[in-house]
Amino acid sequence: MKEIWVCDVVEEVKNALLEINVRSDTALRQKMLDALVAEESEAGREMLTQILENYVVAEERRLPLCQDTGMVMAEVRVGSEVCIRGGSLRQALDEAIRLAYREGYFRKSIIADPFFGKNTQDNTPGVYFFEWVEGDHLEIDLLVKGGGCDNITTLGMLEPGSTPDDVERFILRELDRKAALACPPLVVGVGIGGNGAYALFLASRALSRPLGSSHPDPRYRELEKKWCEDINRLGIGPQGVGGRVTCLEVRIETYPCHIASFPVGLVCSCHVFRRKTLRW
Amino acid sequence: MVSNMAGREFILKTPLGVEDILALRVGDRVFLSGELYVARDATHRRMLSEVAQGKELPFPVHGAVLYYAGPTPPPPHEPVGSIGPTTSRRMDPYLAFFLERGLRATIGKGERGEEVKQLLEKYKAVYFIACGGAGAYLSTFVVSQEVLAYEDLGAQALFRLLVKDFPLMVAYDAFGGDLFEEGKIRYRRILLYHRENSDKGE
Repeated sequence: MKEIWVCDVVEEVKNALLEINVRSDTALRQKMLDALVAEESEAGREMLTQILENYVVAEERRLPLCQDTGMVMAEVRVGSEVCIRGGSLRQALDEAIRLAYREGYFRKSIIADPFFGKNTQDNTPGVYFFEWVEGDHLEIDLLVKGGGCDNITTLGMLEPGSTPDDVERFILRELDRKAALACPPLVVGVGIGGNGAYALFLASRALSRPLGSSHPDPRYRELEKKWCEDINRLGIGPQGVGGRVTCLEVRIETYPCHIASFPVGLVCSCHVFRRKTLRW
Repeated sequence: MVSNMAGREFILKTPLGVEDILALRVGDRVFLSGELYVARDATHRRMLSEVAQGKELPFPVHGAVLYYAGPTPPPPHEPVGSIGPTTSRRMDPYLAFFLERGLRATIGKGERGEEVKQLLEKYKAVYFIACGGAGAYLSTFVVSQEVLAYEDLGAQALFRLLVKDFPLMVAYDAFGGDLFEEGKIRYRRILLYHRENSDKGE
């Protein structure tokens, strides 16, 4: 058995949250530079330039990249040979958020109850998914997303037997109406299969992949590429001002599904793409 | 209507006058100096309920500019935290109330409802966008920040900002122009088939 102490988890998750809210990673910077080169619209280029400037200012002045420092999502995979010591992982994640959001002067955006709650004042709790897997590792995918891009999350229960073209049409139609509200250029997660709830989870999980990664199956890799190109033909552009670059990447995750249904989850991240995977 | 989208540049100071507004068209860039009043959903609800109880608005609304934002707390080494725009559409229901009282402009991000365009034409006002998700960059144009009212609302308190050359773009002008719509028409390279009646709208 491998022993992992929750105090170590707290420390590393805290540091990761402090980092991803302030520092854009190299891959994201490169993506945005590429976008600036590809963008034809003057207004779109202006927005991309400000996004690039923002990376520099945030890092230099230790300010969050976006004032909406989000609700933290963590997807946790616990190996069967792992023994968690000193407390629960849920408590550890909450504690890491509490510490990071205080230390980083991040915004506390969580209310304790949708109808009757007050602000929890420490940005807890996050949203956690736990999965038990084989092996002796603990892995945590952290994703920080603001409210603006979460508000365009959509579930489509399509007709059974839907084709890739049907799914693409659904995605394009939804994004055509909603993408400008979610701070494009976006990273688009598409979950196909499972049931309704699971399709949304898959779409969310797709966002946890690092930039530049693609689906292992070449058929899905092709679809990711094509859908991304077609989203960029919508003309929405950076911040919705019109232009060529609306989407940075499309990621697809799939799961077997019931013969009578065809769930498609659509979950997007704004251009401030904040993620990190931790592994013990 | 498709305007020039020429992206002209204007340097403006608050409070804004009607003549300032009438000179602006969608796509114009504006560098705004002076005072901005920062408010989000809860701030708007509080202001409206206080006015309903007979209280005065906590800021001088005539010629004023409302900025839809909820900043991060300022760290000890900085005058302000990260302060980018939030989604404006959520504040649509409150807009008429402020326009009736002389508000000249709002700042936010994203498209708004059709009724907003009509209100802006009627009251001669504009809707600016600032770059969403660039809160650290935008903070460099903020000279000072103070809580004007509702401190208990935290990030949703009413703040007064003093800004210098705050970078904006005209998204809706006072003539019905819509930057999002014009941009999309201009750069669209794909045909979307909307299946019959399956599109239920928002």
